[in-house]
Amino acid sequence: MSLSLTRRALLAGAATLAAPGIARAQRGRAASVTAAIYPGAWEEAFRETVAPALKRAQNVELEMQPLFAVDQIAKFAASRGVPPFDCFVLDPGPRITGIERGMYERFDATRLANRTALPGLLADEWGVGCAAQVVGIAYNPKKVPKPSGYADLFKDPWVSRLGITGFGTTFGTVSLIEIAKVFGGSETNIEPALAELKKVLPRIAAVGAPAAMPGLFQQGQCDVMYTNTQTVTTLRDRGVDIEFAVPETGATAFFTTLHIAKGSENIDAAYKYIDTVVSKGVQEALQKPPYNFVPVNKEVALGAGLPMRSLDEMARFVTHDWAKINPLRGAWIERFNREMAK
Amino acid sequence: MGVAIAAAPAPSLGLSAPRSPWALAAPLGLAYAAFFVAPLLMLIAVSFYADERMTRFGLEQWQRFLFDAFHWKVIADTLLLGLKAVAATVVLGFPLALVYRAASPAWQRVLLFIVVMPLLTSVVVRTFAWIVILGREGVVNQLVLGLGLAAEPLRLLQTELGLVISLTQIEMPLLLLPLLSVMSRIDPNLMDASASLGASPWRTLFRVILPLAAPGLAAGCLLVFASATTAFISQSVIGGGRLVYLPAMIWQQAMVAAHWPFAATIAIALLLSVSAVLAVIAHAGRVAGGRVHG
Repeated sequence: MSLSLTRRALLAGAATLAAPGIARAQRGRAASVTAAIYPGAWEEAFRETVAPALKRAQNVELEMQPLFAVDQIAKFAASRGVPPFDCFVLDPGPRITGIERGMYERFDATRLANRTALPGLLADEWGVGCAAQVVGIAYNPKKVPKPSGYADLFKDPWVSRLGITGFGTTFGTVSLIEIAKVFGGSETNIEPALAELKKVLPRIAAVGAPAAMPGLFQQGQCDVMYTNTQTVTTLRDRGVDIEFAVPETGATAFFTTLHIAKGSENIDAAYKYIDTVVSKGVQEALQKPPYNFVPVNKEVALGAGLPMRSLDEMARFVTHDWAKINPLRGAWIERFNREMAK
Repeated sequence: MGVAIAAAPAPSLGLSAPRSPWALAAPLGLAYAAFFVAPLLMLIAVSFYADERMTRFGLEQWQRFLFDAFHWKVIADTLLLGLKAVAATVVLGFPLALVYRAASPAWQRVLLFIVVMPLLTSVVVRTFAWIVILGREGVVNQLVLGLGLAAEPLRLLQTELGLVISLTQIEMPLLLLPLLSVMSRIDPNLMDASASLGASPWRTLFRVILPLAAPGLAAGCLLVFASATTAFISQSVIGGGRLVYLPAMIWQQAMVAAHWPFAATIAIALLLSVSAVLAVIAHAGRVAGGRVHG
């Protein structure tokens, strides 16, 4: 009895130890891909749209690891050669960090069946865009007139209804850079923006955390703010009076990109996953409420709330060089804290 | 391992030979060691990396934090916020505890349910509800404008006052639960004895009830202070970007700037500064509690 129990225990122990290996081997056979994904809306959207489409079209199982961009970079760095997932999903800043640290396999866009439906600027040697963000000014048309550009935000009647957010998000960072440019700054010099903000600080309606801005707008705490079209569409769907204005200096655009992790053992499945994400069907589904993503597939009819009629028009939008921004951003975050603090 | 288990004698079911009481705490103790003490030590180690990529050790992050007046102001603001929340919850919560003490058992159950109810809602929901209440077009402002008490909407959101008001509601159960537990154990005969010996109700309150309730009050204050100073969601959503507290700085450095050594430094500064005040509150509670015997 004792011996059999022991043998059983040993077997069970051995099975437990071997389980990850077996699971990995089985995953390899059944074709699966492990993709890092932003927690929350992205995770939900991909579970609802991408996972079933990938299984249906390619017979690939999608396993998702909900991780913020910083966590993806850190987890990969800690894994020392055995990547914890096959694909990254990243905004422009962390994307550059990954390139600088050699975290991606070289990307071959010709392996995507949908490549002809993607705008040329979308794919490069490191990855491909899977969603766009278009950033400009949102305003409540019942409370304030349409602002013509960022300079208007510092004048009446907008300034007293203005809500701002700092460098914590990509859209906040690019908006503050655009404001700096209007007042004589540049991509690497945001001082003029801070100086102007400081002048009007006692008058502006709200300085909020990025996640709080939609709620503040909805509650009428502020009636004008810089934000992306996704937020505008989501709030409008909820019945909020909100319109998107393209600043006279141009709307800003950037892409969230997918990358294959260096050392991935599921490269074929990873390409299939990426191909599915940018496919017409998935992109159409992601553009619908409640997700309201800006699609990257040219065959998808663009939603009415977007300030362009075709993706090719996005080539005219303002873009930024995150290789220059990244090293400065930490200090900018601190500067914003100091300048805005009461 | 299996052999050892199989060969071990069957454990005695009798209660005759109690082992050290420490053995009972071992599961939790080990969990704490693995999931709290070890990460804490790692956090301390990370704060001593000199650079963002964590390639070499040095005191740079500590120098950067400590030799900057702005950071000291943020520490002071964070601690002050906690003290204001404690003061507000005590001023509003202690009278309720007195009502609770005097109430019949049936009413005590009702009061306890009302006190606990907010805990059944997520702190995120409670925080966002306060945006609706305190906002420019919120309930409070509609009332104030409707009654003609002000011509312009009051500015409550994104102010420290608004933050303290909302934290008072959000943290109130943490003060009341230990306080009510202690209050309900106070012997009513002591109040009668105090009155029959000629003490006024106020004297009874300050010389009898308050010292007896001190341990519960101190425990409640500890919980409110620790929770209010680290209430990241409420601080950032209701306080907004102009009120800078340590938790938001940790988030920015860890999650946005990806500067983990500096984030670790701020996290330890928060831990130490909050612990120092907690020690003072706990000491004050002991001193006040000891006075009843004096």
